[in-house]
Order: sequence, then structure tokens, then C-alpha cells
Amino acid sequence: MVQVIVPSVLAAQAKGRHHFEVEADTVGDALRALPVADLLFNERGEWSRHLNVFVDGTDARERGGPACPLAGAREILVIAMLSGG
Amino acid sequence: MAIGVLALVGTRKGLFLLRGDDARLTWQAEGPLLDGWGVYHATVDARDGTIYAAANHVVYGPTVQRSADEGKTWQRSKIGLPELSGLTVNAAWHIEPGLPQQPGTLYLGADPGVLFRSDDCGETWEPNRGILEHSTRDRWFPGAGGLCCDSIQLDSRDPQRMYVCIASAGTLRTDDGGQTWQPVNKNVAADYLGTPYGEIGQCVHKLLLHPARPERLWQQNHCGVYRSDDCGDSWERVDGNGLPSGFGFPIMIDPNDPDTAFVIPETSPEYHYGPGGRLAVYRTRDSGKTWEEMSDGLPRPAWAAVLREASACDANSLYFGTQSGSFFALAEAETWVEAARHLPPILSVEVTQWSR
Repeated sequence: MVQVIVPSVLAAQAKGRHHFEVEADTVGDALRALPVADLLFNERGEWSRHLNVFVDGTDARERGGPACPLAGAREILVIAMLSGG
Repeated sequence: MAIGVLALVGTRKGLFLLRGDDARLTWQAEGPLLDGWGVYHATVDARDGTIYAAANHVVYGPTVQRSADEGKTWQRSKIGLPELSGLTVNAAWHIEPGLPQQPGTLYLGADPGVLFRSDDCGETWEPNRGILEHSTRDRWFPGAGGLCCDSIQLDSRDPQRMYVCIASAGTLRTDDGGQTWQPVNKNVAADYLGTPYGEIGQCVHKLLLHPARPERLWQQNHCGVYRSDDCGDSWERVDGNGLPSGFGFPIMIDPNDPDTAFVIPETSPEYHYGPGGRLAVYRTRDSGKTWEEMSDGLPRPAWAAVLREASACDANSLYFGTQSGSFFALAEAETWVEAARHLPPILSVEVTQWSR
């Protein structure tokens, strides 16, 4: 099992839940198991370019993005990048 | 039981519900609901009281949110386009409940110039093929706000007829329930194009159909204010004689009088505030022949801008919100009341009645 932590705007869309325990082989599978999966992927299954996902502290994009393997991973941290004033 | 006005004020940072008394002098604000979402438009479906919101987020994308309990809880539906189209949805813009004889039907206008229909109270949405695959689509282009579809008007006397506006494609009308759509932009300028009176490419900022006289349409366009008396087959430009500028975004009508309309002029496409910093609503009561200013109670100077969805009208009054976060209602003696200030930038306004 891996724990997925989502930021507050996403948690508000999941009845207030920030933490989820999911069973998955890849980051993509783990995020698709969340009740807010539709907010993380567009209709082509692509991540928002403003979304960062870290697996035990490592940027998932450096390890294949959604295909990033989760073997032995404990935590997935979802962070929304926001910019501007 | 007292009756008042409920204004749904969509902002860049969520939805606010403003409840005013019948005189529109005393207001209470609730919100933000959908905290963190840009609410491009929110409306109450008069058929069952459900609130619908076109809510967008820079990270999480476009959604339609609906609430059956006055905003306490929300259900979300995601919208998407078929892969073969090569398009993805950039933003949800406007939600229009269907006619009373179409229970459960709603329409959604979205960027990139697409129209969706739901027949299950907003749970699922299907793109309209006639718009998605329109033969002129390759001549449509986005304005600064994207390729937005922000005006959807239904003809209550002819359920097969409806209108959508896309910036910048212009106005399109269907007479066969949405299967085919024809551009209806005759005499409407697009002076930023090489062919300023072409079939397609007009930048409609807001279009309204008069409910009591549905062949009459009003539009605030990038290039002037227009009226049509023949379902859009032809248009007459009406922004001379009293209007300081033909440029602006919102337009309002009087549901009791087809000859009356209201606009909020801005200086020009380059300068989005009232001429000379003068925030004012202008009214015509003679179908656009003449215009008069209505600015009592409005701040001055005010370098304020009002977006295309940020005004509303009912049988008793007018309402609008500014990008600087002020919401105004017209009260007795045609005086504007600042019902709320310091809200986030206001994107949209709709009103309905509420009882307490």
C-alpha cells in the first residue's frame, strides 16, 4: 500500500480527505484510483503541466511520469504548482 | 414569508451568494463556495432549484459543479472532447438550463468554441457535433479570453431554435434542434479582419434574446452594439447617439420591454475601463435610437471593468460586478447600491429570487 497526499483544493473535492491508501504498481495507477482522478488527468490521460508528483521525495517525472514504478514506495505527494501574483 | 434577491457572484477565487432584501438595500454575503475555483458562470435552474457552476482551475482544469442544497455540497462532472477532434476542453464558460418542457436538459458553452448538452441534470455531457465539426471552424480564432462559447439563448416559442456565440466566430443559429448551425452575422462588423463584414469571425461579447419577443436579439460586440428583429438574419448597429463608446462586454435587457437594453461602455478594445474613468450604465428605451446615462451612486472616478458574464437583470432591477470586486444593484429612484466590495475579481453574475 502507498499513501497518497493531496492538497486542500483537491481534498475539498474529495469530501475533505487529504490522505488515501491505495494499492498500485505505478504512480499513474495510484492517481487513477483516487476519487479526484478526473481532476489530475485531462481527457487524453495527460497530467496537468502545473502538477508535480513526488514519490518518496523524488519527482515522478524523472522516473517516467505516470509509469513511475512504486515498488516499495511509501508516499506519493501531489503538489499543485501555482504561479503569479 | 419575505422575498428577496439571491445573486450568484462568480469570482476568480470561488462563488459568493449575496442575499438582498426586496428593496436591494441590505445584503448579506456567503462564501466563497468552491473555494479556489474560478467560477466563470453560475446559475440556478428554475425548474428544480439546483445551482450549476462552470468552475475552472489552472491546475485541475474545467468542471461543471452542481449543488442541490444551496451550495452546502457539490457534485462534479468532468467534460471532455473525443480524441478524433484533436481538441481538449480549456475552460467551462456558461451553463444554460433547458426549456421547462425539457426536464433534465442543460447546455454548456466551453472553450475551444464548443457546446455540450446534458440530458441527466448535468451528470454527463455530450459535445454538439454540429458545432464541433462546423465547416467554418478553421476560420474561428480565439480572443484574449480564449475561444469561448459564452452566450447560449433558447427560443421558448420554438424549441428547435437556439443561438450560441463564440468569440471569435460570431453568432450561430440552429433551427433543427442543434443538428445544423448557420452563421447569422450579417451587417456585424469585425474590423480587425481584412473582410470586416464576412460570414464568420465576429467577436460577440454577449448576446441576449428577448423572452417576450424572441425574434429580437441584442448583442454587445467587440465592434459595437447591435439589435436584430429577425432572429439574427440581419443586424442594425445602434451604438450612436448617446453612447460614449460602442465597446464593452455585458448587455442587459428589460424582460418587460423589448425596446429597453443596457450596456456598460468601455473606452476601446485597448483600454478596458469607462471613458475618462467614468463607470456608468447606459440605457436605451427606444430600441437603440438614443441612450441615457444611469450612474447615480456609482463611484467616480472608477477605473473599473465589467466582464461579459458579470451583469444580470430581472423584472425589477439590474446588477453587475467589477473586476475590482465590487457588486452593484440598482435600488429605488434609479440609484446604484454597492452591495459588496473587496470581493475577488468578479467574473459572473446571475440573480434569482429567494425566500426567508
